[in-house]
Amino acid sequence: MPVRVVETSAPSQISGAISEQISPPFCTLLSVGQTFSGTQNVSSLQKDEAWRVNVRIQGYDLDHGYLCGTMEALNVPMADTPVVTFWEGEIVDGKNYTFFTGKWEASAEDDIRHWTKFPSFSPFLCQVEVDGGKSLDLSNYPCIFLRWKEQYFVNVGTDCGLTIAGFYYVCFSCTDGSINGFYYDPNSSPFQKLELKSTNEGRSGFSFSSYELQ
Amino acid sequence: MPTASAALAHRPMDLLNRLASPDPDIKLKALREIKNQIIGNRTKKLAFLKLGAIPTVASILAEADSQLAQGDVSIADKNSNHYNYNIIIQSAAVLGSFACGFDAGVRAVLDAGAFPYLVRLLSNPDEKVVDASARSIRMIYQSKLTPKYEFLKDKKMEFLISLLNSESENVTGLGASIITHSCETSLEQTSLCDAGVLHKLLSLLDGSLCQRDASLESLAALFRNNPEVISKFVGPESGRALGSIMGLTKDRNPRTRLLSCMCLIVIRNSSSCYLQDIGIKTKLVHLLLELLDDPGQVGDEAPFVFSSLIMEKEDLQKLAFEANALDKFSNHLQNFRLHPKRFQGILLALADICSKLESCRSRFLSLQVLNLVIDALTHDSADVRTAACICIRSVTRSIKNLCAGYFMNEVLVIPLVQLLNDPLASVQVAALGALSNILVDFTTGKSTFVQCGGVKQLIQLSKSMDSTVRLNALWALKNMVFLADDRCKEGIFMELTASLLASLICDHDPFVQEQALAFVRNLIEGSISSVEFVFTESGIILDAVRKQLENTSKAEVGIQGMYVLCNLASGNEFHKEAVMQQLLSQVDNETQSFIIKFLQSNDSRLRTAAVWAIVNLTFPSSPGAFCRLVKLRSAGIVPQIRNMVNDPCLDVKLRVRTVLGQAMTFGDGLS
Repeated sequence: MPVRVVETSAPSQISGAISEQISPPFCTLLSVGQTFSGTQNVSSLQKDEAWRVNVRIQGYDLDHGYLCGTMEALNVPMADTPVVTFWEGEIVDGKNYTFFTGKWEASAEDDIRHWTKFPSFSPFLCQVEVDGGKSLDLSNYPCIFLRWKEQYFVNVGTDCGLTIAGFYYVCFSCTDGSINGFYYDPNSSPFQKLELKSTNEGRSGFSFSSYELQ
Repeated sequence: MPTASAALAHRPMDLLNRLASPDPDIKLKALREIKNQIIGNRTKKLAFLKLGAIPTVASILAEADSQLAQGDVSIADKNSNHYNYNIIIQSAAVLGSFACGFDAGVRAVLDAGAFPYLVRLLSNPDEKVVDASARSIRMIYQSKLTPKYEFLKDKKMEFLISLLNSESENVTGLGASIITHSCETSLEQTSLCDAGVLHKLLSLLDGSLCQRDASLESLAALFRNNPEVISKFVGPESGRALGSIMGLTKDRNPRTRLLSCMCLIVIRNSSSCYLQDIGIKTKLVHLLLELLDDPGQVGDEAPFVFSSLIMEKEDLQKLAFEANALDKFSNHLQNFRLHPKRFQGILLALADICSKLESCRSRFLSLQVLNLVIDALTHDSADVRTAACICIRSVTRSIKNLCAGYFMNEVLVIPLVQLLNDPLASVQVAALGALSNILVDFTTGKSTFVQCGGVKQLIQLSKSMDSTVRLNALWALKNMVFLADDRCKEGIFMELTASLLASLICDHDPFVQEQALAFVRNLIEGSISSVEFVFTESGIILDAVRKQLENTSKAEVGIQGMYVLCNLASGNEFHKEAVMQQLLSQVDNETQSFIIKFLQSNDSRLRTAAVWAIVNLTFPSSPGAFCRLVKLRSAGIVPQIRNMVNDPCLDVKLRVRTVLGQAMTFGDGLS
């Protein structure tokens, strides 16, 4: 019978002095080289469709709340080959980025509407409505919230009939490395869901490689 | 009318012959002529030096001085005194000029024993003699070759204070120069401060140009990394002293402006109490960017002072960006025939501006001057080559562009690979730094690098006698094998060989060990077949890993070694059993497994790596997981992990719970 994981302390607020570590914790499952696979649901009114998706983390800069990687979509009807895009991410860390997007045609209401679709977000709702969550202590919370924005197509032209105009609201679970996301693009169907799990690429366990920039 | 014989008479050899003349008038004229020829002329200095001019002039000085000391005054002696004084003055000037900006000259003057004579002359009653010797000694003290002035030794402080208290501008300037040259330790700084030097230097800020500049430089030497001395200077009189220095940033003389900026930056960097507001930061940025336009030595030095302002400081790099510093420095790069010192300074300043912010790197790349930096990789000056590598290293921190494969091209890679053969280790290390970043490439398979012989060079350098070179070569290899395909890994491994890799893992330098282990970690990640690398040559690599893990006290070595075992343990049953053997081979009633010490480490990264290895060993889907769990429990490893259920580090805590969760899937009896 699985052990019931004791819930970590509720997210705390900092009043007065700012604690040194309020940014989300570093999680080995979200480090460079890690891969995830799953699906993105691209249903519209006309049809129900899901693409298989693989994601790989390529870059990570904790100080600047930055991460980047590639997203590969398989079985895309319009494409002969898998479609690969390069994306850049913003880590909601209260220092570089808050829960409010402030760009990409996403209003504060859009932000709240999307974040609340993640159950892990609910303890933060009140504070985020007040100040975007700037004063939250995220350092012990077992989820990391991010936004991912695809920047360009790596292996196809922009005339491939696909769009990367929107971005994803993402919730990463430090516990098991699973990723949930919702695509936001005012011109596309709303709440297209991304669901990924950490993959082991044929191994019986987890493996980790890393690079270091000089 | 000039004649052929007159021209011949000015040849170095002839002048030296005339120095030996008993006729003081001829000697004096020869000294003057030599002085005029060598001023600002390095070639002439070298020519005279090779002919032994310096010892000759030094002995002329000594002789003239001793004749004066004999002191008997008559009409004839008055005349010879006149000559002696002038000979002293001119020979002091000649020696000073030889020493000015010419290290070989400094060495020769010191070797000729002239220095004590020059110092003695500072006490001479004749003002002109004092000035000449003060100027000369000052030039000698501009060189790093000159031995340190030992402030704390007997009577030395007294002598220095007497120099600073002199009426002569040249002598006070000398006192300040000695401080600039020799004041290094905080004890020296404090002792000088206690001797009242600050007050004197402050008054010199209101003196002549020469005194102001000398004072600014010596104040910087006193302030460097010493907040107490700074507060003694700045604190009193509501900051009037600081105001004096700030005022000098508006001086007409560019060198004064530069030195006052330098002094303010030293204060900023050494004490968090002063000059931290955005106003002063912005002002300093703009002042230095303006000084860049000076065509002379000030413009050569300005980039270095700029670097000292912004180095490691993101807020200042942002201000520099907003002040268009990148454009300004890039414009200067495009000047034809840049002086090597200026070239080096500009490249290092660009490196500093681009060191932390992606916005700066993007802007730099958009200015299309990377090709000029690449050209500098083949410059004659080693300092310029090194600075170009450092600039490229900064710019290639752009993860976005690395992911796009922007830097992996022949134009950039080939000259860097060529520098791996540079005669100087410092240049090799700088090139390795840049290549380490470029080799993090996700798109092209790194074939450009392989084809120009880069892998062979890296492996060659991993055998260098210099541990910094070995470390950096391995760093580049480590980055290269990150997510590399099997073919690439195979190619590198075959060239490197298992035995070399094993010996690098056991290198006496722990930093080299760390990089070697990190290389293995990356090598065996990816496709399952790559795990087999650690078993080549009867498993010498795995043995080396275990040996380091048993013996290391350095967390980083433990982290990389544990990830090697973690990655190995993510393989098949055979691989997992191999890890078990590494963990438990030395374990008995008295000895515990090295992993227990890692699990108890203060370093959360090390605890994380260790727990991941256990996660993999007890991964439920593997047939032997239960048996391994039993063994790990008997060895005290699982109980240790159980104690970590509330580890302060979230990552560790979650992995611990994964292990315990996996253990529970095998049913009761183990909980």
